[in-house]
Amino acid sequence: MSDFAVAPDDVNILKPLLGELSQVKDIGTEIKLLGVNFVNGGEDNFQNYKPGQFAFLSAFGVGEAPFGIASVPDEGPTLQFAVQRLGSVTTELHTLGAGDIVGVRGPLGNWFPMDDFKGKNLIVLGGGIGGAPLRPVIQTILRHRQDYGNLTVLWAARNPSLLIFKDEYNSWREAPGTALHLTVDTPDTRWDHNVGLITDLLNRIAPSPENAITITCGPPIMIHFVNKMLVEEMGFKPEQNYVTLEARMHCGVGKCGRCNIGDKLICVDGPVFTMAEVGTFMESIS
Amino acid sequence: MIYITQSALNDWLNQIAQQRILIAPVAEGSSMTYRQVSDSSEITGGFDRPDMGIKGAFLPATETLFTIQSGNGSYTISDNVPADEQVIFGVRPCDSRGMLALDALFIETEPVDIHYARRRQNSVIIGLACSTMGEYCFCTNLGSSPTDNQGADLFLTKSGSGYWLDNITEKGRSLLGTYAIQQSEPAHSRPPEIEHSANASLPDLEKWPPLFADEYWEAVGERCLSCRICAYVCPTCRCFDIRDETLPTAEDGAKYERIRCWDSCLGESYSQVAGGHNPRVAKGDRLRNRMYCKFYYFPQQHGPIACTGCGRCVEACPVNIDVTEVLQHVLEATL
Repeated sequence: MSDFAVAPDDVNILKPLLGELSQVKDIGTEIKLLGVNFVNGGEDNFQNYKPGQFAFLSAFGVGEAPFGIASVPDEGPTLQFAVQRLGSVTTELHTLGAGDIVGVRGPLGNWFPMDDFKGKNLIVLGGGIGGAPLRPVIQTILRHRQDYGNLTVLWAARNPSLLIFKDEYNSWREAPGTALHLTVDTPDTRWDHNVGLITDLLNRIAPSPENAITITCGPPIMIHFVNKMLVEEMGFKPEQNYVTLEARMHCGVGKCGRCNIGDKLICVDGPVFTMAEVGTFMESIS
Repeated sequence: MIYITQSALNDWLNQIAQQRILIAPVAEGSSMTYRQVSDSSEITGGFDRPDMGIKGAFLPATETLFTIQSGNGSYTISDNVPADEQVIFGVRPCDSRGMLALDALFIETEPVDIHYARRRQNSVIIGLACSTMGEYCFCTNLGSSPTDNQGADLFLTKSGSGYWLDNITEKGRSLLGTYAIQQSEPAHSRPPEIEHSANASLPDLEKWPPLFADEYWEAVGERCLSCRICAYVCPTCRCFDIRDETLPTAEDGAKYERIRCWDSCLGESYSQVAGGHNPRVAKGDRLRNRMYCKFYYFPQQHGPIACTGCGRCVEACPVNIDVTEVLQHVLEATL
């Protein structure tokens, strides 16, 4: 067992590529959309990344954290990430401006099987910053609109300032066969959409499980109750319901051991799962 | 298998130490660890199991993965892939066998971890059979034994005033080719054949899932201090953290290093995400995770169990949490 050889071209899997921030835009309270372009090559790695995959961003000197990629390669070589200021790495990333250098490592993890979704009605449910990895799903459907059935987006946040990608809502609404429903827990004076939890909104919209797929990302508690409602009250089967899960992770390649839920590693077995798979997990996701 | 005297062994190790990093058991105060020596006279004889295993020679407690230098608007990332050749002598069977679990994760499961793999490739492990079982040892409960040579490249068994030297791998043969060792006429008969005991105390995989919701985990976890010493002394616990450190630099700009360091799933914030969610808030959940990792998750994901029966965690635990009692509970639990 110890007579193995290591090929000389084996790469340092923990070393990032260098990226330059080409775009820094406030898209919500403490939420920025960061656009990253590679400076010394690296585009090849990211030529065909898929909706649902993630990457690590480095703020050198502070550290590295994983983010769902919030863009699609068809829109150009700039990778986009929606970054909410919460921990040390995101706090540092929020101090950077256009032209500053970050590290990028990825793409990592599995993805939403968009080809399998063709011809189906899609219900996309995003909660807060959890909407970030769902934007590529919406972009893919809108770019290939005729390949998919109806698209219903349920988009939620604690308050209006935490709703992400507001600039795009009109283009989502205007697309054929597409509906966008917004809700917040706490409205402000100008708010003229729904008020309440995303489950209240879901209950009212009551999508049909017929030929449908749901895709949910948000806080664990939201994922739990949304999927409970879909299955117990609306007749969806767990295998129709996709989720993408968040976990603390440091390597992203199945080595550091941090992101396990039972015998699954979110980084390499996920982050995308069907609720049928989640139902077999030994540990609870919420 | 050849027979060598103690002085031939010492001469041979001294040759090696002149050209390669030689790591061997050394007693310091009341504890014994594997550390680098420059002469065989520094090595502590006897057969007590060192207090720490050899994991750190391959996955150091802290290591630099790469450095980042910035200045004049440009950034340079420099790899820090280890190249030193090292020989580790006097490795007890529990520690050499622990390497097989680490190999399964870092090398045999894609992608290869280059830092671990390079050290592993550039290292020769010289095993040493234990003459007795220590107070906390339970390798024989897990299908191993004090004379198990798995994971070793060369293997020594004490016999009279000398040793039988067994060649296990090509790397071992190569080391003997580079550094000649003086062979002697054996004054004693060959050592007994290597014995493997039955997996007497290892529950079958299917015993574990039904016990996941057992109240037992909360009860044992109640005692746990989340101090993580069990993971640090473990030959197979390998979970790590990755962090950045800022380095002093005389030049304009800044210099950082990205390090990885040992960590353990027993720490309270280990799995907590920035938003605050923590899938294993309770101590019992975390203790259960460690035990399931060792005996259920790791074997499913990578093959071997992640325990060698060295007993260090039992010895080190300040609140007497005993993995052999846990295994006994799982064995005896009626479903």
